[in-house]
Amino acid sequence: MNNAKKAIFAAIGKALPAPASAPAIAAELTQLRARIDATRPERVSGPPDEVFLDRVQSPGVAASAERIGSLNDLPAAVMRYAAQHDLALNIALQPHPNLEALNWSGLQTRDHVGTDETLAVGLALGGIAETGSLVFHSSPESPTLFAFLPLHHIVAVSYKNIWPWMEDYVRAFTGAPPPRNVNLVTGASGTTDIEGTLVRGAHGPGWLHVVMVGPPTD
Amino acid sequence: MNAFHGRVTAALADATLKIAIDRTTNTARAKRAAAIAAWPEFAQARVLGRDIKDHVIANMEYYLNQFETNAKKTGAKIHWARTGQEACEIVVGICKAANAKTVTRSKSMLGEEIGLPHALEAAGIERVETDLAEHIIQLAHEKPSHIIWPALHKTREQVGDLFRANHTDPGALETVEQMVNSARRNLREKFMAADVGISGANFLIADTGAICTVTNEGNAELTTTPPRVHIVTAGIEKLVPSMVEAMTMLRLLVRSATGAELTQYTTFHAGPKRTGDVDGPEEFHIVLVDAGRTTMLAEGLAEMLRCLRCGACMNHCVVYRQIGGHAYGATYPGPMGSVITPSLDGLEKSQDLPRACTLNGQCQEVCPVAIPLPKLIRGWRTKAWVQGYEPVYTAWALRIWEFLALRPALYQIASNMALRVMPVFAKGGWIAKMPLAGGWTRYRDMPRPQAATFLAQYKKRQAAK
Repeated sequence: MNNAKKAIFAAIGKALPAPASAPAIAAELTQLRARIDATRPERVSGPPDEVFLDRVQSPGVAASAERIGSLNDLPAAVMRYAAQHDLALNIALQPHPNLEALNWSGLQTRDHVGTDETLAVGLALGGIAETGSLVFHSSPESPTLFAFLPLHHIVAVSYKNIWPWMEDYVRAFTGAPPPRNVNLVTGASGTTDIEGTLVRGAHGPGWLHVVMVGPPTD
Repeated sequence: MNAFHGRVTAALADATLKIAIDRTTNTARAKRAAAIAAWPEFAQARVLGRDIKDHVIANMEYYLNQFETNAKKTGAKIHWARTGQEACEIVVGICKAANAKTVTRSKSMLGEEIGLPHALEAAGIERVETDLAEHIIQLAHEKPSHIIWPALHKTREQVGDLFRANHTDPGALETVEQMVNSARRNLREKFMAADVGISGANFLIADTGAICTVTNEGNAELTTTPPRVHIVTAGIEKLVPSMVEAMTMLRLLVRSATGAELTQYTTFHAGPKRTGDVDGPEEFHIVLVDAGRTTMLAEGLAEMLRCLRCGACMNHCVVYRQIGGHAYGATYPGPMGSVITPSLDGLEKSQDLPRACTLNGQCQEVCPVAIPLPKLIRGWRTKAWVQGYEPVYTAWALRIWEFLALRPALYQIASNMALRVMPVFAKGGWIAKMPLAGGWTRYRDMPRPQAATFLAQYKKRQAAK
C-alpha cells in the first residue's frame, strides 16, 4: 500500500467505528436494493418501446423519432431526414456490420466521424423507456465519438432492446465486464449556462433523430 | 468591515449581479419543483439515496478497496492523494510524463477545490476549459460563482462582450444561441488537439471500477475520448456500490440540479482504449483525493459527505440569492459551502460563512440526500462561540438577552418599551432607519411592530372570554 493510501485509510479507521464484515455489508446492501423498485417513477406502463418513443419526443428530451418496419428501411429514412433538413447525402456511418450490410446507394458513406461532421448514422445497443435514453457500449463497432461530434445524429434502435427502467438495463449486464464507455444519450446536446436559457447543440449534436426498428409490419 | 462583509456590501450594491442571479435561480427552482411534482416517489427515493450514501460512507474502506481492485482490472492506474496539493502534483506529473502541451478540462468542483487550474498554469501547461460556463469564466479570469452554473453571475450581454473580444470570427452575438454556436466553433479544434483530458467523477462505481460523469453539453466525452491520456480526479466520498445504486442517485441528482430527468450525456468510463477501439485514451488515471474528507468524517460532518453537488441548496437559499457565489470567497458557496469551507479552510478564516444563514431550513428541505444543513451550520456556530470567534457585540447582545429572558417581568417591561419607541421611527407600516438597527435597515425595512406585545394581547383575549 502506498503511503498516501495508508494515511487515508488510517484516518478513516480513526474516524469510523470498527469496519463491518464483508457479509454484513453485503446483507445491508441487499436490504437497500430491495427498496429501489418502489422509488422508481411509476410512469412506465404499456409496451416499453411505445413508452420509449413517447419519452424521446417529450419536451424534456426533445428528440425527433419515427418507426420503420425493418433495418433495411433505414437508408430511406436517412435520405428523407437529409432532404427535410437540407443536408448533403454524405454520412459518417458507424462501422457496425448490421449497418454496413445495408444498401446505401444514393448516399456517400465513410466509416469514421470527422471533427465537423454534419450527419452521422448509428445503431444503439438499446434504449431505456423511463428516460428516453439511448444506450451505447463502446467497441470497434461503436466508436464513442459518433455520438458527440456530428451536428445531426440519426440512431437506429431495435424495438426488442428497450428496457423499462434504468435498473433493468443495468441488470441485463450485471456480472459482465464493463465496456470502456457506457454512454446513455438522452436527447441532443444542450446548455443552460447563459442565464439558464436552454440552447441545443452546445458541443455535441444539435439534433438527435431516433429510428425505432420494428416490429416487422408484414 | 472584514473581507466577507466587504464582498457582501459590494455584491448587494451590484444591480446587474442581482438580475443575473435571479434569471438563473428562478428558472432552476421552477424546473426542479416541476420535476419533483412529477415524481411522487421522490420522498421515498430521497430517504433511500441518503441511506445508500450513509452505507457507503460507513463502509468507506471496504468500498474504496473494492473500487481500486476493479478499476485496476479495467487497466486504470490508481493514485492516492492526501491533500489537494498532492493531487495537483500527481496530475501535473502525469501531464509532464505525457509531454502534454495542452489539456482540456471538463468541469469538476474538486478540481476547483484543489486549485488544479492554477497548478496547470504554473506548470506551463495550456488549459482549455470546455464546459461553456467554465469557458466564460476562464475568458473573464474569474472563479465559479455556482457549482452547476459557474457563470451564473454573468448576464448574456456580458458574455457577448467577452466572446466578441476573445473568439475568432464570433459573428453576431445578439442571442444566447449565437453565443453558444460561437463557443462550439471556437472549442472544436481544441478538443481534438489536446494531449490530456481531465474530468471529475460524479460517482465511483465500486463493483466495476468505472467512474461516472454527467453533462448536458457533451463536453465531458469530448474531453475524455480524443486525447491520449484521460485523468480523473475524484473525492473518496463519491462511491456507490454498483450501477444500480448510481441510477437512484442520478434520478435524485439531475432533477435537483436542473429539473431534467436525466442529463443528456451520462457516461460510465472504465479504463483505457481496448483492442480494436478506434477512439478512447491510451492511458486512464484515477486520482482518489482525500483533501479534508476524512477530517470531515472525524469532525462529525459525515452527513456532509453525502453531498451530490447538485446546487439545489444555493438556488433556494435566501442569502445566496441576494449576494451570489463570489461573496462567500470560497470554492463552494451557499449552504453546502458554509458547512464544507470551515472544514477545508479552517473556522477562523471562514467563521462568517455559517453566520450568513437565516436557518429557514429550505436547503435541507430541497436536499436530495436530506443533509441536515441547518444543524451542521449551527454546529459551526457553536464551535465559533466556544473558540471565541463570535464578535464582542454578539456576545454582549446575547448576554443582555439572556439576563432579560431569565427575568420575565423585566423582559416584559423591555418589550413594552421597545413597542413604544419603535413606532416613533416608522413611516407607514415600515421602519426604514432606527438607531442600533443599521445592520438590518441598511438593506431592508423592518415592519412596524404591533401595538401590544403577544403576552399583553393574549391576556386581553383570555380576559374577554
